[in-house]
Amino acid sequence: MTDSSVSSRKVLSKIATNRLQKELTEWQINPPSGFTHKVTDNLQRWVIEVNGAQGTIYDNEKYQLQVDFPENYPMEAPQVIFLHPAPLHPHIYSNGHICLDILYDSWSPAMTVGSICISILSMLSSSTAKERPEDNDRYVKNCRNGRSPKETRWWFHDDKV
Amino acid sequence: MDSEDDMHDANDAESVDDDFYSGETAMDSDDGDAADYEFIDNDSDDSNDLVSHRSQQNYTILNETDIQLRQEDDIMKIASILSISDVAAAILLRHYNWSVSKVNDEWFADEEKVRRVVGLLEEPRPLPNAKELTCGICFEVYPCDSMSSAACGHPFCVTCWQGYISTAINDGPGCLTLRCPDPSCGAAVGKDMIVSLASHDDREKYRRYFLRSFVEDNRKTKWCPAPGCDYAVDFIVGGGTFDVTCRCSYSFCWNCTEEAHRPVDCDTVSKWIMKNSAESENMNWILANSKPCPKCKRPIEKNQGCMHITCTPPCKFEFCWLCLGAWADHGERTGGFYACNRYEAAKQEGVYDDTEKRREMAKNSLERYTHYYERWATNQSSRQKALADLQQMQSIHLEKLSDKQCQPESQLKFITEAWLQIVECRRVLKWTYAYGYYLPEHEHAKRQFFEYLQGEAESGLERLHQCAEKELQGYLNVEGPSKDFNEFRMKLAGLTSVTRNYFENLVRALENGLSDVDAHGGTSRIGGSRSLGAGSSKGRTSRSKGTSARSSGSRNIDDSVHWSCEYCTFANAKSATICQMCQQRR
Repeated sequence: MTDSSVSSRKVLSKIATNRLQKELTEWQINPPSGFTHKVTDNLQRWVIEVNGAQGTIYDNEKYQLQVDFPENYPMEAPQVIFLHPAPLHPHIYSNGHICLDILYDSWSPAMTVGSICISILSMLSSSTAKERPEDNDRYVKNCRNGRSPKETRWWFHDDKV
Repeated sequence: MDSEDDMHDANDAESVDDDFYSGETAMDSDDGDAADYEFIDNDSDDSNDLVSHRSQQNYTILNETDIQLRQEDDIMKIASILSISDVAAAILLRHYNWSVSKVNDEWFADEEKVRRVVGLLEEPRPLPNAKELTCGICFEVYPCDSMSSAACGHPFCVTCWQGYISTAINDGPGCLTLRCPDPSCGAAVGKDMIVSLASHDDREKYRRYFLRSFVEDNRKTKWCPAPGCDYAVDFIVGGGTFDVTCRCSYSFCWNCTEEAHRPVDCDTVSKWIMKNSAESENMNWILANSKPCPKCKRPIEKNQGCMHITCTPPCKFEFCWLCLGAWADHGERTGGFYACNRYEAAKQEGVYDDTEKRREMAKNSLERYTHYYERWATNQSSRQKALADLQQMQSIHLEKLSDKQCQPESQLKFITEAWLQIVECRRVLKWTYAYGYYLPEHEHAKRQFFEYLQGEAESGLERLHQCAEKELQGYLNVEGPSKDFNEFRMKLAGLTSVTRNYFENLVRALENGLSDVDAHGGTSRIGGSRSLGAGSSKGRTSRSKGTSARSSGSRNIDDSVHWSCEYCTFANAKSATICQMCQQRR
């Protein structure tokens, strides 16, 4: 669904390309633990494998994150979603959208893919129940036309999970 | 500071008893805010020349320069009181919604906490001491001197700063609270840094946001809601009414920012506007704009301001636009020569042919609503028409009149004043129909009194409108100066002043919830004034004045020592046989 919106996106700016190459190099030397970058030749879309942390309810489970970078990354946040099947989590919708402030309002260009991954893993690790957000069905229905989570007006009301 | 809300509420019926037009600025009414306003008033001497500060008003109209001056003034004030930079003072003021007193209070209560909340560091930290630094955004390495940081010392290259600032400015007013890009750092990015790094266009956008914030985030100021108007209003809550007239001539209510709606309160206005938008689909809008001539049935569109319509030849039937009755019938039976608000009376008495129809119409609530809506809308369009007439008068007719009547234009101000009064009366009258719609049905005495007052208001206004519109034509379309032009001047000026008084009193009486009706056992007293009004046009104005002007005894005109002119309603001394205002015989 998101393919169409991504293919119409403008190519990365020079600044974005340089920065992503540096991030990729850094990742190869020093990857965040629990994450594997699936190697492709597409710098604008990263697919990252997430391993549930030991001792958490997602232990031994593997999920895939898809990270799409906008033209003027890092000034603008990347779009980050879980590919199907998304983990069962009170802040992750069944269509893969993630309710996490740093992906939207609280994004800062000094953040990186690595720091996003660490935030997501910490969000997963602090969950105590495998359940969908209360408004999952309504939200997913509203996103049927391949709407990006970046177009959602998120309410970040829960900092415990 | 919570008291600000209370002050809004405190503006109730009691305070409107004071004469609105001479109402004084209330400065002594509360603690925190009073202090806030004092700050402005003590130090704003230099800006007062630029600000049109009319002493009797509880508001000031500000243009962009005024706003900027006030903003700079407040920033300087905070900077000197707290011994901080202008940039830091601006950050603090913006955070506390531009309230000088709030910044003071919070700062001196807990400076450390305030600094943390807004991101102001006590000691700026320099860039890390190294020859070369890595930019925290693009991860490129640059020599130390091409890096910058906020007060926190986190280094970013100039290009990334520019991108960061530009993105923030183009995202909206959030750029006013920009922080260091480092996620773990909350240091504020000040105006100086933004201005020095932003592009020309972005700088201009930022300047606009900064200025707008001073108006929009400030509880004492609002933009004038008129389309295309750039003025702001600084309002001192607590004294008088919420009515504000902007320099662009638009009048609005400061509280709800709808158009000015005295004597009706904000809640009623919002109910009425909701009602109108809900009913508009059912409404026959044409009702308000075109009607068939009651005699020849040709459709007539109203193109003049007053309610006295004359059908085009050969019909030439003269009728009242509101009730469609013959104009000749508009005399004592309708409660005064120009009055036509006889909805209630018509419902009860069933005197006229028209009344029969109206009585049927009144059977259900939609029709009741239609009655009030139609009159509300008619007065609205009459007001628009009067505004247009006023403009035409000022741009064309006054010059012509000055020429024809050999009068300097400065001597013709009474005509402009008459038209301004007509515009204001139409506005008040319009809202009396929303008032009437929400006046409870069972309060018969009040309703009767209300209809009576409204009828008087209508007839007074019609008289004024007639004089300012039709009689004036007689002096425009002549070859040489008219002998009786001075009499016309006296009459129109007299009508204007009498009508102004009447409407001011009417507004006050309605705002008091017609409390005189309760206070005096109602019906009998109202019956008394009603019969006086209906029986004779004499003394009507003074009587209705008496009922509403209880707070200012001097306005009570005693009928035993005065008589009211039949033509202009001026209250003359008993000894006079010719009206002092319009020179007509008693």
